[in-house]
Amino acid sequence: MTSSKPAMLSDLAFHMLLALGDGPSHGYAIGKAVEEQSGGRLDPTTGALYQALRRLTEDGLIAEVDGPKDADSRRRYFTLTASGRKAAATEAGRLDALVRTARKRRLFPQRA
Amino acid sequence: MSIYRRLLRIAAPALAREYGPAMEETLATRWREARGVSPRTRIVMRELLMLIALAWSERFGSRVRAQRRQQRLVEHSKAGAMDTLGQELRQAARRLLRAPAFTVASVLTLGLAIGANTAIFALVQRVVVNPLPYPESDRLIELDHGSVTMKVASGMSTTPGIYFIYRDRARSIESAAVYSVGARTLIERGEPERLRAAFATPSLGAVLRVPPALGRWFTEEEGTPGGPLAAVLSHSLWTWRFNGDRSIIGRGIVLDGVSIDVIGVMPAGFAFPDPRIDVWLPTQISRAQGFGFFGPQGVARLRDGVSLDTARAEFQGLLAGIADAYPDDPKATANVRTKLTFVGRTLKDATLGNVTRGLWLILAAVGVVLFVACANVANLFLVRTELRQREVAIRRALGAARLGLGRYFFTESFLLAGAGGAIGLSIAWAALRVLVQAGPTNLPRLHEVRLDAISVAYVAAVSIVAALVFGSIPLWRGTAAGALHDSGRGNTTSRQRHYVRHLLLGAQVAMALVLLVASALMVRSFQNLHAIDPGFNPDSTLSFNIGLPRTKYITIDQMATVHNGIVDRLAALPGVESASATTCLPLSMGCNANSMRVEGEEYPHGTLPPLSLMRAVGGGYFETMGMRIVRGRAITRADVDRKEPVVVISQKFANIAFKDVDPIGRRIASNQPPKPDGSVTFEWWTIVGVVVDTPMRALNEPDPMPMTFMPLSLANGVDLTRIAPTALQMNFVVRTSTPPLSIGPLAREAVRAIDADLAIAQFTTLQALVDRASAQMTFTMVLLAAAASISLVLGMIGIYGVTSYIVSQRTSEIGVRLALGAEPAGITSQIVKQGGKVTLAGIAVGLLAASAGSRLIASVLYGVSPRDPAIFAAMATLLMLVALVACWIPARRAARLSPTIALRAD
Repeated sequence: MTSSKPAMLSDLAFHMLLALGDGPSHGYAIGKAVEEQSGGRLDPTTGALYQALRRLTEDGLIAEVDGPKDADSRRRYFTLTASGRKAAATEAGRLDALVRTARKRRLFPQRA
Repeated sequence: MSIYRRLLRIAAPALAREYGPAMEETLATRWREARGVSPRTRIVMRELLMLIALAWSERFGSRVRAQRRQQRLVEHSKAGAMDTLGQELRQAARRLLRAPAFTVASVLTLGLAIGANTAIFALVQRVVVNPLPYPESDRLIELDHGSVTMKVASGMSTTPGIYFIYRDRARSIESAAVYSVGARTLIERGEPERLRAAFATPSLGAVLRVPPALGRWFTEEEGTPGGPLAAVLSHSLWTWRFNGDRSIIGRGIVLDGVSIDVIGVMPAGFAFPDPRIDVWLPTQISRAQGFGFFGPQGVARLRDGVSLDTARAEFQGLLAGIADAYPDDPKATANVRTKLTFVGRTLKDATLGNVTRGLWLILAAVGVVLFVACANVANLFLVRTELRQREVAIRRALGAARLGLGRYFFTESFLLAGAGGAIGLSIAWAALRVLVQAGPTNLPRLHEVRLDAISVAYVAAVSIVAALVFGSIPLWRGTAAGALHDSGRGNTTSRQRHYVRHLLLGAQVAMALVLLVASALMVRSFQNLHAIDPGFNPDSTLSFNIGLPRTKYITIDQMATVHNGIVDRLAALPGVESASATTCLPLSMGCNANSMRVEGEEYPHGTLPPLSLMRAVGGGYFETMGMRIVRGRAITRADVDRKEPVVVISQKFANIAFKDVDPIGRRIASNQPPKPDGSVTFEWWTIVGVVVDTPMRALNEPDPMPMTFMPLSLANGVDLTRIAPTALQMNFVVRTSTPPLSIGPLAREAVRAIDADLAIAQFTTLQALVDRASAQMTFTMVLLAAAASISLVLGMIGIYGVTSYIVSQRTSEIGVRLALGAEPAGITSQIVKQGGKVTLAGIAVGLLAASAGSRLIASVLYGVSPRDPAIFAAMATLLMLVALVACWIPARRAARLSPTIALRAD
């Protein structure tokens, strides 16, 4: 679906992909991880979280997988797809490039 | 959590299908983790707002997503119009979430006002605008009469003789019918049940034009004397008692011991003449029976294009010729001499009576509440706008078009109004359930009132208008330069801003005062109505009705025995002080009346003696009812047992017929029609007592009807041998020392012990009877009081909010003044004075408006002038005090500031 050129990821979507970097996870845990990663800046409502999960699934960046056997049967587990990894990497690269530019212009402390 | 599931299913069905349970689980986990009131409140608010955003994006967002996918192919991702709108909405939602106090206050205020409006709108829409569920119902008229010489303006109803003349001769109507309401005992599978029956001429079907849902309506043959009897069931009786069995058609049912074939079932909404009718039976009358007696109600359908005035003129002409139409019936001549008048009213007016006024009044009141709520939210919006002056000024200075800015505010106002509308809808839904339960029974179609598509459209319209109003408020204000200028760090705010705010505030005060005055007038009317002495003591009295099967009880002696037996058993029950019976309770219509001859008086041919209601009562009736005997003695059990020809008359009767003469010992007789041979015999009764008047129609009856009470053993049996009440049905009254309704089961047992086939109906207390008589006023009063309280609270919040804001804007100025040695008391009084001025202006306008609107409310008041100065003054003072307190609280806070803190504030 997203063969030609991956779209620019939204802030929330990028954080969600990052949250799945450690392996499959479910809605509540993804939300919690997003909140922690962003230092509380992002705290999606349940509605927003699942809307984003659906969109990422539709775009083929994540896919649903079976959860552990002992998990709450209502929980749905998601994992990164290959194109999801690629999109996250592209976004990280974009941010990295921005950070390097910022350093060059002395807007950001140099590496220690 | 199940609420969330339900809301989600409504807001975003696709998402709910896909992830519903998972989302619920996630939310549940979050809920468990968020301990405490405030985090949980935050969750509820955020999720609710998100649901609204989801609802929007689920419906319009697919286009956005499709667009977005296309954009991926384009190098520059250019946001489409819809996408921008989506973004704006999301941003607006975020902005609102960042100001939860503002958001909650606005949404609740709007929700309350929209909810109240929607509920009353639904009510008025159903009850007033469209009360009669018959085709072309505006052509239906009531056939009612009055008499000039008897000084009865209306309410005499009609007679079969008049009906036949109208039906056969009047060209302005295409059909006419007469009907009356009574009761019958149904015995089905051994279980007796008292039914409400309507007796109607077969022509009623043609007049109302409502065909039965099942089977057929009556034929002309079934409406002529001697024709076959037939019954048409109401939908609810058919459903509940006969399990909706379609084979009921053609089967016989037993009514008052007579088997009658069921020929039809009416549709569910059919409720003529009222919703409590269980069965319709044919009235069997013919023109040969003569003029007849007043009693049956009449209804007719005008020909297309004929006006009510034309019909009235024609009917009045026909009435003049009625003596010639019935030459053999002296009643016709006598009645024509009383100068009969045709009272032309549409059936709609007759059904609604003065209900309409009250309802329009309530609708106007909730309209005012909506206005007050809008003014309040507008003020909140203004405050908020000012806090964001800089943001707006910069946007504008950077060249944001007014349109863009408009969208910026409108997205917020639409979200707020949308949420307010959603909450309003649920409030309306709940309020309607209460209203339908508690509303007065004389509101037509009340049971059909519900939130329908029209009401929902109304909510949508009100919400959109509200949103447009608030959204445009920030745009009213001047140019970009002005805005930038204003947003500078001034220590005072501009005059213009205060002007708008004060205008809104003053309007709120004025509206609140109008509502306060209206509701206080209603409360006073209600008090006056309740202060009326009904002539009997309604405390701790149980009442119920019994009808005797006419095949089993034929003579009056049989009937008197069974009634006396029941009274004796009731009186012996524990907790019962006394018991008695009457053919007709106070505040009940449809009881016997006749003109009463006084012995020794001459009545020239063609004139009628005074009219009196007639009631047959058991021994000790007046004692049980708590009706005071003014002169002489009451009717005793001994009178009943010995069939003593004695009567007790009411004060009104004594005044009319005997003036200053003592009526005790005089004799009266119920006027009787002449026998076929021309002779007339009267049955003379001796007056032994005079009792207080009791009302027949309403508590505030200006002119009580004269009444005659006789021992029940003097009543008629099954055969109506003379004009007198019949003891076929009887109301029992039990005065108790325990809560009256607790006697119910025992009373049932007592009746069953006498005859297991007797059905008890209308278990009630006399207090309920009195309450029902004032139900209309109670209903209007409670709703008006609710509207007034809401507007008072909203007004107070408005004044408090605006004063707080003004104080906060002037904190640094106040600080400077305090630092320079100003007295805190002086500062408080200055701020209070400012608010007081606005309030005073509002009160002045409100008083003018209330006095101008007094004509609208006058007709629903009782015993109080619509411009009662005491009430006007009291409400104005109350409002002034409340307003001053609302100003004083923030003012005092300002004056108590330490100067250093106040100066640092800016």
